Amino acid sequence: MNETLEKRSMGLRASRTISNTLIYIVLVIMSVVWLIPFICIVLQSFRVESTWQVGYVIPQQWGWDNYIALWNSDFKRWYLNTFIIALAVAVLQTVIVLCMSYTLSRFRFKLRDGLMRFMLILGMFPGMLTMIILYRVLKDLGLTQANAVPGLILVYVASSGMGYYVSKGFFDTIPKSLDEAARVDGATRAQVLTKIILPLAKPIVIYTILTAFMAPWGDFVFARYVSFGTSAGMNVAVGMYGWLQLDQIGQKYTMFCAGGVVVAIPVTILFMCLQKYYVEGVTGGAVKG
Amino acid sequence: MASVKLTKVKKVYDNKVVAVHDFDLDIKDKEFVVFVGPSGCGKSTTLRMIAGLEDISDGTVEIDGEVVNDLQPKDRGIAMVFQNYALYPHMTVYDNIAFSLRLQKMPEDEIYERVTKAAEILGITDYLLRKPRALSGGQRQRVAIGRAMVRNSKVFLMDEPLSNLDAKLRNQMRAEIILLRQRLDTTFIYVTHDQTEAMTLADRIVIMKDGYIMQVGTPEECFDMPKNLFVAEFIGAPKMNVMETELIKEGGKYFVKPFGAKIEVDGAKGELLHEFNAQPGQIILGVRPEHIVLSKDGEHAIPCTLEVNEMMGSELHLHVFTEDGTRLIVRVPTIDLTAEERSGLVRGKKLFLSFEGKVMHFFDKESKKNLLIREE
Amino acid sequence: MKRYSDLEFLKLSKGQKFLYKLTSFFAAIPRAIGNLFLAIGRFFKNLGLGVANEFKDIFTTFKEGDWKTRASFLVMGLGSIARGQVLRGLLFLLFEIVFIFYMVTTGGYWMSMLPSLGKIGPHDEYNAVLDAYTKTYGDNSFKILLYGVLTIFFIVAFLYTWRMNVKQNKIAQEYLKAGRRLKSSGDDLRSLVDEQFYKTLLALPLTGILIFTVLPIVFMILVAFTNYDGTHDGYNNALFGWQGFSNFRTLLTWSGSGVNYSATFGEILTWTLIWAFFATFTNYFLGMFVAMMINKKGIRLKKLWRTVLVMTIAIPQFISLLYVSKMFAKNGIVNGLLLDLGWIKQAIDFWGSTANNGLLPRVMVIVINIWIGIPYLMLIATGILMNIPADLYESSRIDGANAWQQYTKITLPYMLFITGPYLLTSFTSNMNNFNVIFLLTGGAPTNAAASGAAGSVGYTDLLITWLFKITTGAEAQYYLASVVGIMVFVVVAVISLVVYNVLPSIKNEEDFQ
Repeated sequence: MNETLEKRSMGLRASRTISNTLIYIVLVIMSVVWLIPFICIVLQSFRVESTWQVGYVIPQQWGWDNYIALWNSDFKRWYLNTFIIALAVAVLQTVIVLCMSYTLSRFRFKLRDGLMRFMLILGMFPGMLTMIILYRVLKDLGLTQANAVPGLILVYVASSGMGYYVSKGFFDTIPKSLDEAARVDGATRAQVLTKIILPLAKPIVIYTILTAFMAPWGDFVFARYVSFGTSAGMNVAVGMYGWLQLDQIGQKYTMFCAGGVVVAIPVTILFMCLQKYYVEGVTGGAVKG
Repeated sequence: MASVKLTKVKKVYDNKVVAVHDFDLDIKDKEFVVFVGPSGCGKSTTLRMIAGLEDISDGTVEIDGEVVNDLQPKDRGIAMVFQNYALYPHMTVYDNIAFSLRLQKMPEDEIYERVTKAAEILGITDYLLRKPRALSGGQRQRVAIGRAMVRNSKVFLMDEPLSNLDAKLRNQMRAEIILLRQRLDTTFIYVTHDQTEAMTLADRIVIMKDGYIMQVGTPEECFDMPKNLFVAEFIGAPKMNVMETELIKEGGKYFVKPFGAKIEVDGAKGELLHEFNAQPGQIILGVRPEHIVLSKDGEHAIPCTLEVNEMMGSELHLHVFTEDGTRLIVRVPTIDLTAEERSGLVRGKKLFLSFEGKVMHFFDKESKKNLLIREE
Repeated sequence: MKRYSDLEFLKLSKGQKFLYKLTSFFAAIPRAIGNLFLAIGRFFKNLGLGVANEFKDIFTTFKEGDWKTRASFLVMGLGSIARGQVLRGLLFLLFEIVFIFYMVTTGGYWMSMLPSLGKIGPHDEYNAVLDAYTKTYGDNSFKILLYGVLTIFFIVAFLYTWRMNVKQNKIAQEYLKAGRRLKSSGDDLRSLVDEQFYKTLLALPLTGILIFTVLPIVFMILVAFTNYDGTHDGYNNALFGWQGFSNFRTLLTWSGSGVNYSATFGEILTWTLIWAFFATFTNYFLGMFVAMMINKKGIRLKKLWRTVLVMTIAIPQFISLLYVSKMFAKNGIVNGLLLDLGWIKQAIDFWGSTANNGLLPRVMVIVINIWIGIPYLMLIATGILMNIPADLYESSRIDGANAWQQYTKITLPYMLFITGPYLLTSFTSNMNNFNVIFLLTGGAPTNAAASGAAGSVGYTDLLITWLFKITTGAEAQYYLASVVGIMVFVVVAVISLVVYNVLPSIKNEEDFQ
């Protein structure tokens, strides 16, 4: 009796070891697959012997040439453009999203449900459609091409109120009785927001800032539309996309890699520092729908 | 220190559900009024309308003679303690209590005076620099009370303040609220679903059901003269035994015939029946468990079978079934029985119950109203 | 069919249960459609009643109003000013003045041109100074449509404000009659940071949404009914005008201007749905799987594995996607490696292979999308998995469930329940996942059969990338793009509506609470 029990528990232990080993193998393979492109991109950015695409990974000749070329190209301008956009959007979009989500979480006004349903329906239209007219409007305002930066900020920020879901979900988890207690204690609604809710909403504020800051680095379609071939108005995505087109890829492929590294490093560092908040926001958002 | 007057106050939600129907109540200065009722009866809604946290659909609320319908909570001169305490998690206990004073732009030294004084009264001085997270339930409760105390408000509102505490702590806090009340000497409106709290704390109880007031009265009135069956069953624990039975009149005397027994309605209740000229017929008879006694077999006793015997310490709760399967509860003081008698009280034991006329309550079978109370 | 009661249903075998559910699902459809029409009918009935009530109320307000109220019907805000609510009154008045000024100066013109979208196009006109015909520009259809829509918005806003102004008068009159105090201007201002704080908070976001989302969408919907394109740009080469439903007919019927649009549309729609399905569910299940692996008891370095995956979220997609797309290019690293290893003789054309309707590129985009998507899903799944009460697993183990049964009976239902709405939004956003397709393949390889349609269609093109190609293509058929856009909306809306109605998370909100 005792022996069989022991055998069984031995078997349990053995099968656990096997399954854990399997999991480790899968995890290691996955990590490699996930990291390889980034390792490749870093390695290729140091390749000096040729600037076009090659079939091998490790450079034969190492050097900073690509980074120097980057410094001497319009990349600086694109980088600065993107950085300004990202900074402005991070601030303004956060303000707007917080206004929207706090209101929808806390106030019960007459048109609230209608408004939320309306925005849900609006969100079902492909945003791509509105590009044409937004471009024309920006053009009339003189905010395209060389002036694309303020134009892009305006467009990104203006419709950001629609993205209130995640932070509203967070606000909904803060008990309403806190608001009520504060109102009884003599606070106006504005004071409730600034003195009670905002200090408690730090994670979601950081999440909103982080996502708002990261988005402009990747925006491509609309930015390309608005800058319309004018280098001075491009962001990094639009500018570097050009380098991989057939007419330029021969000279600019390794520069693209170097540019990718330069773009990715600060964003990644920021992201890793604030990872905790990002995870909280993403998980909360999915759970709340 | 103020009176509160509610006139035809009504709450209708957007989906047309009526939570409170024409609520009329006059609360005198320095009175302690408890709203009590099962969940969903509208008691909290009424309190929140007084506080200004809920819109008033119709009617008026006056505090100190002033209509406050259109005033914001902060302008109504009220303080409130919430069920889940609603302490600001990011502030220390001190900051929590000082919050309202700081909003009034009171000088810091005066705030210090008030906060430390309140903390001393409540015995939370040692925790002033802690965050609410680091406090126990009872301590949080005290902070919540402290926060309401420092405001020197005209009316003190409490929304089920004890329901999140365990039984022992609840008894202790209940006693402290009585002390607090004596110290603050202001008007209290207190909401609870617990009839014991209502009975022990209140000067006057307002019993509510489905948005209607069932009875307003002192604890004694509600206990002795419940206006209707609902109040009768709601007040008192274990709840009142209810039997459908016949009221008959023989030779100028009233009798009830529960479960085959024939019991005379003697004493004051009998006189009242005469006074009201009660018509014989089917009625609902109510008798509280503590008013039923064990007796011998006979014409005046109800035969029944013991199902469960709960030993509560000072008393026994006997759950019995009558012959037609109705379940009754009898409360017997432990001290009235010998050890032998007690050990004989096992499942299946035949028992005989009886009660006197003066402990009976009579309710109309249709309207469920007390037959011995005149409609106003 | 026979209907079972809930308890009878329990007696059925598994197969019978499934069959019963299936048949009752389909049996319920006619009724659901009936209900939909009833709901629409109710909506219009209520709308009609509402409008009638408004008019009645306006009428009685006028009849019972004093001179202040009556004067406000013409001069907005007069009543408020006369009753001491100066600020309110002035704002009403100001709005009326601005509105009238706008309508007289420009708004009237846009409205008058809206039915025709412009009368005089660009034409040659005799110029006496130069003694030659020079090109003269006439009306601008684009601006007429845009500002026409804006003017309609403005008129609606004015009517609403006017109605509010009338209502204000009625309320004020009633208040004064009842002896209640009216709100002063100071009260109004103070309430903007208190009970009316939401108005302050919403003012900016809603204005932005109105101008930069609602207006463009209304505009683009209207464009679908015109012939706005590269050769009718409304100003430089020709005016554009209303075309009715002909663009929809072009897309939806077999006949067209030499191109079989409906077949192309059907083909792209099918692929879009297939793509959205795989992109959503492969990510979902694999992400959950990865999360479960990392979360498994006894696995070490949890943080490391997670960090490696999460790091890839941080890197902007245009870098990772563009780079990966180049890695798989014909002369890219992957082919180079495989050739060096001698595993293949000839470079594989990952993006260009048109065999089997472009099966290889299609599979490739789905696989690479997994690479992109797993980290997100891993994060989400981790958060939810940790929230599943441990006692559920403990009790199921006592009941004798093995790991697989635990997964199918506890983990999966829980996950699906919690993430139901998320799955829906993720499906619809995958339908519109422009970035992944555009940066990886740009829609390639070209679908020879469909390339006759506007903007050379490829096998991996989604509706959204096709739409993009149409607008940026040589002919710039904006009207067609907006028809496609409306169709995308219809598809998304229908899917959302159907799924929303069967989702358990919506129906039984409390089940897992």
